[in-house]
Amino acid sequence: MLDNLQAAVGLLTNWNVLLTIAICSVYGLFVGAVPGLTATMAAALLVPFTFFMEPLPALVAIVTMSAMAIFAGDIPAALVRIPGTPSSAAYTDDSYELTKQGKGELVLGVDLVTSAIGGLMGAVILMIAAPLLAEVALRFTSFEYFWLAALGLSATVMIASTSPVKAGLALLVGLFFSTVGVDITLGYPRFTFGVTELLNGVNFIPAMIGLFGVSEVLRNMASASLRLPIAPVRAEGIFRGLAATLWRYKVNMARAGGIGIFIGILPGAGADIAAWIAYAVSRRFSREPEKYGKGAIEPIVDAGTANNACLAADWIPALVFGIPGDSITAIVIGVLFMKGLRPGPMVFEQQPELVYAVYLSFIVANLLMIPFGYLAIKASGTVLRVPRNILMPAILTFCVVGAYAINNSLFDVGLMLAMGVFGYFLEANGIPVAPIVLGMVLGPILEQNFMVSMIKTEWDLTQFFRRPVAIVLGVFTILTWLVPLYPVLGRRLARAG
Amino acid sequence: MKISDTVVGAGFVAAGAAIAAGTLGYPTLDAGHPGPSLFPRLVGGLMAAFGAVLAARGVRARDVTETVAWRELHRSAGFVNALYVLGGVLAYILLVDRLGFLLMGALVLFVLMWRLQVRLWQALVVAIVFTAAVHFLFAKVLKVPLPPGLLWW
Repeated sequence: MLDNLQAAVGLLTNWNVLLTIAICSVYGLFVGAVPGLTATMAAALLVPFTFFMEPLPALVAIVTMSAMAIFAGDIPAALVRIPGTPSSAAYTDDSYELTKQGKGELVLGVDLVTSAIGGLMGAVILMIAAPLLAEVALRFTSFEYFWLAALGLSATVMIASTSPVKAGLALLVGLFFSTVGVDITLGYPRFTFGVTELLNGVNFIPAMIGLFGVSEVLRNMASASLRLPIAPVRAEGIFRGLAATLWRYKVNMARAGGIGIFIGILPGAGADIAAWIAYAVSRRFSREPEKYGKGAIEPIVDAGTANNACLAADWIPALVFGIPGDSITAIVIGVLFMKGLRPGPMVFEQQPELVYAVYLSFIVANLLMIPFGYLAIKASGTVLRVPRNILMPAILTFCVVGAYAINNSLFDVGLMLAMGVFGYFLEANGIPVAPIVLGMVLGPILEQNFMVSMIKTEWDLTQFFRRPVAIVLGVFTILTWLVPLYPVLGRRLARAG
Repeated sequence: MKISDTVVGAGFVAAGAAIAAGTLGYPTLDAGHPGPSLFPRLVGGLMAAFGAVLAARGVRARDVTETVAWRELHRSAGFVNALYVLGGVLAYILLVDRLGFLLMGALVLFVLMWRLQVRLWQALVVAIVFTAAVHFLFAKVLKVPLPPGLLWW
């Protein structure tokens, strides 16, 4: 273990990697702080660059960028009442109310430090849990992988922050995209319509750039131009009275960290959902639940800790099983596939330094978050005033060139545009686009493992319930389907008891 | 582009049915077990089912949002902006091989900024400088062969 740690430190302390960390921190903070640009979009736009990097700096880049972006999403929530990323949506009203009461400095201080603490909690659990689970995962067969993929799909739909029907439709769209191209059982081309470019499937990166980049540009340009009234905050004051506040809510932080980590380990549910659940749990246990939504600091502590803890824990299923924990890790897995790297327990044995580099970059990113975040808060006035009528066309240029760069193909640019329009249309109708990327990544895993299992056992479905771990995962999956019934069952039990 | 859940749901029913129908001619495995067709059929079927639920909800809620006022649409500035994006990227795809990245990239960028009421000289400077910077980053640093077109690099 120490050897690997040393090797990882050696790999990280190369000036190339350090420069990557610095650039990606600033990039993540910027994209997170600009309302309407999500962390997932930041990842999608970063992908064309990571495509030209070695796997290690590529992973470091995405880890650093996403950790910073999830924190920075809190800044516009507090200052202009628009969450910078969906992960800050749960406590936007509380943050903004407090800012209006003149407590903006405290809010931003809590945002910053709880983000770092939550991120470190997640990183520590990632370091402990991932290698242990990898040991278990070595014995997994196609049955267990099938159930893991099924669990990820179910969690995406059932634990979504929107209606399960709409999340389900988005997921099915992604699953459909994943069937395009040559099938694995017979090599039969599916839904290619004679287009050569589709034989290998819907190209992942241009699709991501379209769904998360172009659709956001369209959405921002289609809405009336925003002149944001920005509340004045002095960055110098953010640490005043912070220690006392955080100490008062130490139990909240521990609980929220636990919630974030649990949601993170669960395949398919990401940081935004962790924040909503931590917020709800916090209100349930609070002494003053009536203040929630009207300017309470307590839920900000909870949800602010949970989303960053979740972000790190999302990497547990991604690294150990190759099953994405959220849309960002789904993009990461897609990129690793293209680099010929299949995340899974074997990576822990064959390239442990990669895994350790991910651990370390989470720790480094969350420690760097305090100074970098402080500077970002200081610069927030400027960042929020960046003229959007210049920013949006510039992002579009990046989208076009990024989509082209992967295969040097204009077909991919067209694909990106089509996906962008499609994603914009779906979002406008309340259908989230994040499940699409999970469907695209989980689809092949689900289908391949199902087909392999079936052919291996000559179509004996009971085999899916013969192995102990498979049974546990299967039961978990089915329990997830019943989530909408839990409130009903709870009320029944309460009445009966 | 908000339209009613009824219409969106119906659209997904149609799409799901089309996906399932598209698999009808697919070959089967030995002993007649479904092969390439199984998964898409499942996806298509579920998509149609979920779409039907969405449509049913829309009907029950008497959701009639689809009166997007199609006739008014061309007057909405946001909609026209979106069309500019669409037209810009399409024009880029069609012309970039002939005109090159530097010209087309700067042109599309300029037109979009101009449409979004950036001052003319500012749009011009940003378009040229930003396109040149992107060109340097991708063509020189990452070695992506961006189409050279009329200009020599």
